[in-house]
Amino acid sequence: MTGANEFKLAQGPEDSVSAVKFSPSSSQFLLVSSWDGSVRLYDASANSMRMKYQHLAPVLDCAFSDPTHAWSGGLDSQLKTHDLNTDQDTIVGTHDAPIRCVEFCPEVNVLVTGSWDQSVRLWDPRTPCNAGTFTQPEKVYTLSVAGDRLIVGTAGRRVLVWDLRNMGYVQQRRESSLKYQTRCIRAFPNKQGYVLSSIEGRVAVEYLDPSLEVQKKKYAFKCHRLKENGIEQVHPVNAISFHSVHNTFATGGSDGFVNIWDPFNKKRLCQFHRYPSSIASLSFSTDGSLLAIASSYMQELGDVSHPADAVFIRQVTDAETKPKST
Amino acid sequence: MGRKKKKQLKPWCWYCNRDFDDEKILIQHQKAKHFKCHICHKKLYTGPGLAIHCMQVHKDTIDGVPNAIPGRTDIELEIYGMEGIPEKDIQDRRRVLEQKSQESQKRKQNQDDSDEDDDDDEDEAGPSSFQQPTAQPQAAYMAPMTQTGIHLGPQAQGMPSAGYAGMPPMLTGVPPMIPGMPPVMPVMPPGMMPMRGMMPPGPAMPPMMPGMLPGMPHHVGRPGMPSMAPAAPVTVPGLASRPAVPITQSAASKPLFPSAVQAQQTVSGPSSTSSDSPKVTFPAYTQPPSTSSVVPASSSTVAKPPATVTSKPATLTTLSATSKLMHPDEDISLEERRAQLPRYQRLIPRPGQTAATAASAPPSGAVGGMMPPQQSGMRHPIHGQYGGPPQAMSGFMAVGMPPYGQNAPMVPSYQAGPVGPPMGIRPSVMSPGSRY
Repeated sequence: MTGANEFKLAQGPEDSVSAVKFSPSSSQFLLVSSWDGSVRLYDASANSMRMKYQHLAPVLDCAFSDPTHAWSGGLDSQLKTHDLNTDQDTIVGTHDAPIRCVEFCPEVNVLVTGSWDQSVRLWDPRTPCNAGTFTQPEKVYTLSVAGDRLIVGTAGRRVLVWDLRNMGYVQQRRESSLKYQTRCIRAFPNKQGYVLSSIEGRVAVEYLDPSLEVQKKKYAFKCHRLKENGIEQVHPVNAISFHSVHNTFATGGSDGFVNIWDPFNKKRLCQFHRYPSSIASLSFSTDGSLLAIASSYMQELGDVSHPADAVFIRQVTDAETKPKST
Repeated sequence: MGRKKKKQLKPWCWYCNRDFDDEKILIQHQKAKHFKCHICHKKLYTGPGLAIHCMQVHKDTIDGVPNAIPGRTDIELEIYGMEGIPEKDIQDRRRVLEQKSQESQKRKQNQDDSDEDDDDDEDEAGPSSFQQPTAQPQAAYMAPMTQTGIHLGPQAQGMPSAGYAGMPPMLTGVPPMIPGMPPVMPVMPPGMMPMRGMMPPGPAMPPMMPGMLPGMPHHVGRPGMPSMAPAAPVTVPGLASRPAVPITQSAASKPLFPSAVQAQQTVSGPSSTSSDSPKVTFPAYTQPPSTSSVVPASSSTVAKPPATVTSKPATLTTLSATSKLMHPDEDISLEERRAQLPRYQRLIPRPGQTAATAASAPPSGAVGGMMPPQQSGMRHPIHGQYGGPPQAMSGFMAVGMPPYGQNAPMVPSYQAGPVGPPMGIRPSVMSPGSRY
């Protein structure tokens, strides 16, 4: 199924993959967190697993704070950081409920976690220690960093924008423009806005500037829907990742497809072949040359037998990711 | 520009009544949906143009404009964007739009009345955005009983506001009652009329109505729901026929209910509204045809399920008869749902739990015996700069066992690592790769 420009990672996790993240400095290293409780570091160029560490329970998200430090959190509610040079890990702190998201903000140099305990916590990566707990209206399902701002997507379709330098109040309270549960939010690299996806095969492109003329530009579109025997199967769009250079983004859905979209011309640039399972996570490398695609069944239809979980690394070309200038 | 505009309306497609922001987009839409040749997919400019093309090129005739609503399929009318639309239809459209906006305003006002009583925890801008969509489905449901339904609506909404104040407890009890709906639904048409008579006198009505109606526009899943659940089955039999109408109302004004009913039907058993309900499968949902048959015209109407419900997560509406949402019914995230599976629940450390449980998960099953194989074996690969850690780790054996608090003293010895004291509560040890 894979072509010459794509390969499957060896020694993959033993259960579904929850997140894949490329290192901020190189497209060589990739972090993969999984429901088997492990967080693994891979060398994508050599297709080998370099390091692995465990949590007590499934890990839901992972992130790099810098090329040598990995952070992860999951159902055990513990935030761990792992030093990739010394191969040591540390429990930095906890939430009161499972940690769902772990992201790093380079501009403010703070690590952010979001949890089902309805709070977002900031952590200083240097000490490392807790730098604040901030209550959200609902369980946090997804979050993304845009410059020095934090966009949090919670249950109940709420979206909150925080200023990481001033967390005393919420900068913007919004409601998702999609009518179904928010699945994933990712901010544009140009920090102008964010992309939000829902469980109902739909993606919205929104802007942060609250002024009316900018808000008018927002739009939404349907995607990841398959028509089979007259019934339209509407799949959750689980993953979004931006190409840092072109500001185009890829979406991955439970239909097993990855699409690349050009948000400015509102066109789809490319669709890859169908992957064996739902796409659980996507990550473009910092230089935009590789896309890590985690294909794992996510229990959308209950506990049924499903293809094995895998992470694919694909070389992407400009043709696939660059907006077409007509 | 200086003269009165013939069409102040936003551009809309005469063939299918869809609204557009821009005439340019409208034309693109028409070309793609209505003026496209079904044989060769060539996009023509007008209806007659399409007809002529089919005749000349494919020797085929067409009866009407493709994808047009009944009544608007005239192939001979030359419509391009907003040009060519018969004056009568423009006026009809204007009237319909005015009606719709009036209706939604009226509804909003009624909602606002019950809104004030209904303080609760929602602050989302839901209600107004719901009005339009709910207006239509309501009409759709009420098809057999158009007048009665729609009249009943505003009236009923008036009532609840009155009766609501004293009814909060019932409010929560009401939604669980909905389960009665599907069986009752077919009864509705005859039920509708008797209902009307019953409404004013019905003593049981007020408890239901306020619950249903104000509850509807807002959220179904009141946090209090579970507590009321036991009451629900009791009340249902007593109000067997009455629930029909208010539920109709609720079904109509809040598309959430029908599918919620079906989903909840399986759950609404007396005791099942407890915390394990999320695990209950919803057989009703897995058969899209049957599910959607109850929700005929709610094509993609809003489902705004309430968020945090402690034990009974809200359910999603189905989209329509032709769409199936590939997602479990409850409106919790996929990860939450998965975390509830026993094989993962076992792994979540609870305060005071011993490491035995924690360690039982990993394939290697190094239960409690964290140490022995530790060493370098831990990390497969090439890396390993173990240095200090391995020794420190062996020191840790015991750590995993007792509740975390006790490990505090152990921690300092670990300081070998880069971390400082604030590191915190848990022993950093937990990681030792012994896991696998």
